[in-house]
Amino acid sequence: MSSAQLPNYLRANRKRLGLLQDDVAFLLGAETGESVCRHERFVREPSLAIALAYEAIYQRPVRELFAGLYQEIEKGIATRAQTASDRTCLKKTSLHSARKIQTLADMAARLFSKDQNL
Amino acid sequence: MSRTNEKNLRVIAIAPSTRGFGFAVAEGGTLIDWGVKSVKGNKNLQCLMKVREMIAHYQPGVMVLEDHSAKGSRRSPRIRMLGDQIIAVARKQKIMVTMFSRPQVRKAFFSNGKGTKDALAEILANRFPEELRYRLPAKRRPWMSEAYQIGIFDAVALALMIQVPKPSS
Repeated sequence: MSSAQLPNYLRANRKRLGLLQDDVAFLLGAETGESVCRHERFVREPSLAIALAYEAIYQRPVRELFAGLYQEIEKGIATRAQTASDRTCLKKTSLHSARKIQTLADMAARLFSKDQNL
Repeated sequence: MSRTNEKNLRVIAIAPSTRGFGFAVAEGGTLIDWGVKSVKGNKNLQCLMKVREMIAHYQPGVMVLEDHSAKGSRRSPRIRMLGDQIIAVARKQKIMVTMFSRPQVRKAFFSNGKGTKDALAEILANRFPEELRYRLPAKRRPWMSEAYQIGIFDAVALALMIQVPKPSS
């Protein structure tokens, strides 16, 4: 099981405000609601600028709007932090590398435990 | 994407009607989608296609339908057949199917187990004001047909049956 959440909750937030896809597209500066539709159907991921625009329109943080995507990204970071921590452990230890190992291990532990709690 | 976990159980409720079906998708007590899908031509076939699309999109863990085989149910043969077809589609996709009869829904929302669809819609609009208040139809008079959007409220009521607390008497 990777994630229980949907990649994004754009449609729910748009409907909550009583807006049409064309209305949101206009607010985003697009000509038609086609791109909004693609984002809502999880066909395409929006650019950073558009994601921030969604946050401004729906008044919800990007990580809540794109909850499933955020969860996937977090999981990837957790795995890579664990790998980086293991790799650093193999190298000669210095004060700096000890600090780095601690940071990466904490990060992996935090993100993995968050994932298990979901 | 998994279909469900214990905390965020994604529920899809389908309420077939003469024009198509009302639907509601709920997750952890919040509505994530709701509306009416209208169809023309071969209504059951069109409805099934739309239900399949919704299942693919939302990957629900549970599907809730009205129990059309319950005693006293007055659904038309076409809708009964559609209900059976939807159940078959859901089971094929390994989605748990739960059914509730109209009296069961009324018992869950009204303390004396009696109430109209309009009253139930009002209760649901109060529970989800941002989502449903603006879709609440005007109170139906005896000479009026049922409002198109009442299917949304039927579906939301069914979706909430999974977690609705019993009303205090």
